[in-house]
Amino acid sequence: MGACLVGCGSSQVIVESTFPTPLIEPLPVKMGVIIPDELYNFIHTEDIPDQSLWTIALGDANVAMLEPLFKQMFRETTDVDAVPVAGDASLDGVIEPKLEKFEFDVPIGERDEFVEVWMQYQINVYEPDGATVLQWAVAGYGKSELDKDQEDAVQRAAIVAMREAGATISTKFSEQPQIKEWLEGKGYGIPVTAGQQAAASDSAGGVASTPPPAE
Amino acid sequence: MGRLRLLGIAAVVPLIGACGITARIEPYKQSDAVIAEGEHVVVLARKQHSNHEAEEDFVQCISDGLAKGDDGLDVHASKEFEDKLYPWFEPSTAPLSTEDLTSLLERPGVLAQVKSTGVRYLLWLDGSTDRTASGGGITCAAGVGGAGCMGLAWWEDDSRYDVTVWHIQDIESEGTIHADYKGRSVMPAIVIPIPLITRPQVHACRGLADQIRQFLTQPGGYDAGNEPGVG
Repeated sequence: MGACLVGCGSSQVIVESTFPTPLIEPLPVKMGVIIPDELYNFIHTEDIPDQSLWTIALGDANVAMLEPLFKQMFRETTDVDAVPVAGDASLDGVIEPKLEKFEFDVPIGERDEFVEVWMQYQINVYEPDGATVLQWAVAGYGKSELDKDQEDAVQRAAIVAMREAGATISTKFSEQPQIKEWLEGKGYGIPVTAGQQAAASDSAGGVASTPPPAE
Repeated sequence: MGRLRLLGIAAVVPLIGACGITARIEPYKQSDAVIAEGEHVVVLARKQHSNHEAEEDFVQCISDGLAKGDDGLDVHASKEFEDKLYPWFEPSTAPLSTEDLTSLLERPGVLAQVKSTGVRYLLWLDGSTDRTASGGGITCAAGVGGAGCMGLAWWEDDSRYDVTVWHIQDIESEGTIHADYKGRSVMPAIVIPIPLITRPQVHACRGLADQIRQFLTQPGGYDAGNEPGVG
């Protein structure tokens, strides 16, 4: 829950939440996951004229959202520190999320009802040797009704925005042209659903060829 | 002072008649489907609109209204349903049509998860309560002899909601219910302000919950002679 750490004159929010595991079929790849320190410790600070100094900590929520997401998106994940990756030849690739932008709006006027949050993640995918496969900007938008507790409203809007970004990452990742090409290059083809492909991959020694997704 | 109060009361009485609620409910049911024993419903807010969406409290109010009473329906918690089906009922991914729902249920694991919730009817709630008009004014002053206010303020709130009922396994839209509740509140001030407030959203919740219950439990769906829940 949101917490007002200091009180008067400043508004401080620690965004904390649990995020559900997505109901998706994993892609048949083993991925290294880099969670950069900047994401772990992400704090947005903004002095809004005529309001207050806002400090919004998103680090814990970032990890709580992205870790189960990646775990479900791929057949197997393992934490790595950086690319190029040494010592794990079984990795198909490495994924690294960054939080590039965070904006929010707390209304002042009586007729404005919603707190809004907009954020943009950058999802980078690398080959194990460090070559870039994908640089993908994923935005999330959330709003929540403004009640007496502005900090709580900001927190709720941020969680909606994060869920929205997570939904886009988990449902659109495999539709990115670079990812389709990358999967084809690894002999996984373009999955109709990753689960069907994983099954085919298992039975055909890791090589599968399936038609494009019927979206 | 006593005469002033008497005059004030005489002035306020007609104003009580000026405040109140007008209600309109238009149900449309296109099947004879009724909810069976053990089948659940879930109420979800449409969140695709940038400037309005059904308030969380209102969604909860409808859910509570459907569940209460001896003949209460089995209502699945909205947030829990969205979590179990994440990421498929987020604003950007939620099905907008029954065709979208068909595609969604064909995805691996989704139909099984829906079945596990017991939910058979999905109630999409769209709309909001907005202040549509306001006017008048109250002036207050204080002096050595005392303080007091004079004037009249008024405002109108409009609660407009649509409920679309989907049968989630037959993948059919069973119909819609449109509700429009307008409420006018007045606050005359003669020495002291006297708020005469109407809350159309409360009445809309009660009226919609009653209509949804009828919709889901009676083959015809709607008894046209019924008075919507206006208090």
